[in-house]
Amino acid sequence: MRAILCVIAVVLAAAAAPASAAGLVLAPCPPAVVTGIRATLPTATGVKCYVHRTEAEVDGTPAGAVDEINAEVALGDGRVATVDVSPQGRVRSTTYRHSDLVGSSGKGMALLFWAFALAAVAGAVFVITRRNLIAAVMGMVGSFVGIAAIYMMLYAQFLAVVQMLVYAGAIMVLFVFVVMILNRPEDEPVAPSGRAGQVIGGLAILYLVVQLIMMLTRVEPPNLETAMAAPPPIQQGYDWGSVGAVGTDLFGPGLFPFEAISILLLVAVVGAIAIARPLREGSDNAGEGVVDEPTRTRQEGSAP
Amino acid sequence: MSDVVWNIGYGHFLVLAAVLFLIGVAGVLLRRNALIVLMSVELMLNAANVTLLAFSRMWGDLSAHTFALIVIAVAAAEAAVGLAIVVAVFRGRRNVDVDRLTTLRH
Repeated sequence: MRAILCVIAVVLAAAAAPASAAGLVLAPCPPAVVTGIRATLPTATGVKCYVHRTEAEVDGTPAGAVDEINAEVALGDGRVATVDVSPQGRVRSTTYRHSDLVGSSGKGMALLFWAFALAAVAGAVFVITRRNLIAAVMGMVGSFVGIAAIYMMLYAQFLAVVQMLVYAGAIMVLFVFVVMILNRPEDEPVAPSGRAGQVIGGLAILYLVVQLIMMLTRVEPPNLETAMAAPPPIQQGYDWGSVGAVGTDLFGPGLFPFEAISILLLVAVVGAIAIARPLREGSDNAGEGVVDEPTRTRQEGSAP
Repeated sequence: MSDVVWNIGYGHFLVLAAVLFLIGVAGVLLRRNALIVLMSVELMLNAANVTLLAFSRMWGDLSAHTFALIVIAVAAAEAAVGLAIVVAVFRGRRNVDVDRLTTLRH
């Protein structure tokens, strides 16, 4: 066990110093490099150069000629570019990434991040510490809601909604169902019962139906002319992570995995039904192999 | 210190994902109820999704969103089959303690 931990620590330490391992050292930028970068990226500020030399460093003093420079620059629109540039200032390639995303949005966003991160972690801790299974499921739901908000902060609006629908909706209901199957019913249900419960439930249903009807009467038909005249929604940086942008990727390069998922879900549905089908005496059912012989007779003996 | 608190960057999201993943691992390793183990697996898949989306935003590449969507679908399928197995096991032996499911032990 100790040996495994030591190996992991060594691997982590080796991974923690990638720049020096690749032979790239932070160094002052040659003026030609800065002017070359400014020529291709006019809004570039804060140029940092990581240089690679033909020979390795000896006792901290640089040796050999510079043959490769990787420069990191900040761009005016909040992105960071990594520029592969020759010592003479010729830009070979440029890759972009976004710099600090929430930090640029102010302190309110930072507070929201901490709040939702706390919700996610606290819910997760709740899952693994509770003895009551329903409490654990509710902790899981809180964790998933927090994670959905975190998705939103990462500009993944579509996935945040999918997260809420699939995890906090469907999977939560699935877990609650199984917990209810496994546990005995509670002695005192919380929901009001009897005549009072029927009255309250009836009023609530009536309110919902009335609200639904009122909402449906206010729906207006879509204005097709303005809808068709609107500009195409896919533009870089303007609707990043929206349904349209994700859909364009999903039905383009991601079409095969998308179709494969439908087969996977079909197999999962059929498999779940086949496995969870009740064991019946005298029928050749697929679930029989799951249970060994002595256990099954014990179960039958205890059944009323 | 205040810099770390008020300037949220990609590191924060990655550390959050790592913490969630570790909590999930702890749940799988420490708890013996099969349902809690399944929930912990879901937590780990979610942590992986947070990492995917953070790097997706960082590099401005939307294909990770497709990948995260597929992870969510696989997680749903896994939950359905896993819970069906839990129900089937519970029918047979009236408990879902993973330490006591030793019939297949060699």
